[in-house]
Amino acid sequence: MYSSLVRIQNTFGFFTTVAFVVAAFIAASDFVTPRAPVVNVLKTTNLQVVRGRPHYYSSKKEEYAIIKFTLDADLSSLFTWNTKQLFVYITAEWPSTSVSGTTLPSNVTSNQAVIWDTIITSPSADHLANIGPIALKKLRKSAAGKPIDPSRGKITLKNQRPKYQITHPSGKIAETEDVTLRLHYNVQPWVGVLTWNQNADYGLWNALGGGLSKKFNLPALKKKDEGKKAKA
Amino acid sequence: MLSGMANPRQAAAQLMNFGLIVSTAFMMWKGLSVITDSPSPIVVVLSGSMEPAFQRGDLLFLWNRNIFSETSVGEIVVYNVKDKDIPIVHRVVRKFGTGSKAKLLTKGDNNLSDDTELYARGQDYLVRKDIIGSVVGFIPFVGYVTIMLSEHPWLKPVMLGMMGLVVVLQRE
Repeated sequence: MYSSLVRIQNTFGFFTTVAFVVAAFIAASDFVTPRAPVVNVLKTTNLQVVRGRPHYYSSKKEEYAIIKFTLDADLSSLFTWNTKQLFVYITAEWPSTSVSGTTLPSNVTSNQAVIWDTIITSPSADHLANIGPIALKKLRKSAAGKPIDPSRGKITLKNQRPKYQITHPSGKIAETEDVTLRLHYNVQPWVGVLTWNQNADYGLWNALGGGLSKKFNLPALKKKDEGKKAKA
Repeated sequence: MLSGMANPRQAAAQLMNFGLIVSTAFMMWKGLSVITDSPSPIVVVLSGSMEPAFQRGDLLFLWNRNIFSETSVGEIVVYNVKDKDIPIVHRVVRKFGTGSKAKLLTKGDNNLSDDTELYARGQDYLVRKDIIGSVVGFIPFVGYVTIMLSEHPWLKPVMLGMMGLVVVLQRE
């Protein structure tokens, strides 16, 4: 009855039960923490469409849009003790003009592509970030002694180059109309549910304020000699 | 020891008990599969391509129904490449078109380039049916035991044997 095997079993069983209950409490604490993310400025600063190849060995030529933008956002309320990292990304969205005869309602954006993203780690997850040793030292120093650092959620970018040059499966993207930029975020917890930006308020979590740029049209393809002239 | 062997009735009861445990676990797994509409509703992260969000051994809960909205850009999805049986957990970064024929491109947060090279030959994009679920929940580290089991094959029979022994030797 009271063999050591049974005792080990009971101890392990109790340990897992306690661990799961504590984890459940931590996960539930997310829902009682208010969130009020807001985007003050999101606008394009420079638009360009160039021709290029998808990769070095490809002979296919495609058009690529390079969308530079300015961003000012305050996502600091998303950082709590259960935040492991915040994934922030900006998408370019535009409606399809011709979907083989069928007309989509105008509010459906049928094309969406990420042009820029960033991972903001919580100080407790800094050691997991995939950055060089010097950058890591700097990052750790910036939040020395702080288990939570909401100031990392304040993002200010001026005339930022996009990380990804986007195209369309057809290879054509020049002169696309009604393009908008939209900011999104994804909160990655230490334990619990993953959450994304909302369009409506749920409980204590407010919808993302702003985060949508004005509509713009992509320019025509940049000609080669034009580029030379600009350089000269 | 081996008291069960002396009493065939008790031995049979223990065997039934063991069968009950196995079938309960199996039905819970299949039930979750039906609820989430995913062939594999819980997956273990096997690679570091989504670090720092997910590390090896983390447990992910999937959801594969599009009740409120379509699978869209920014969601972390688990997909199977054509003719390959390794599930990959990556984020959707591009989506062209709507519905079941929408073209989806994925990328690991920790990878420099997108997944075009991981896809099958001639496959440039994923479609909705390649995806077996979107990640909705996360528990760290718990799945590490399965990675240990697959990396050290001798552990599997040892653990199964020990579990069987414990169940058989248990009196009650």
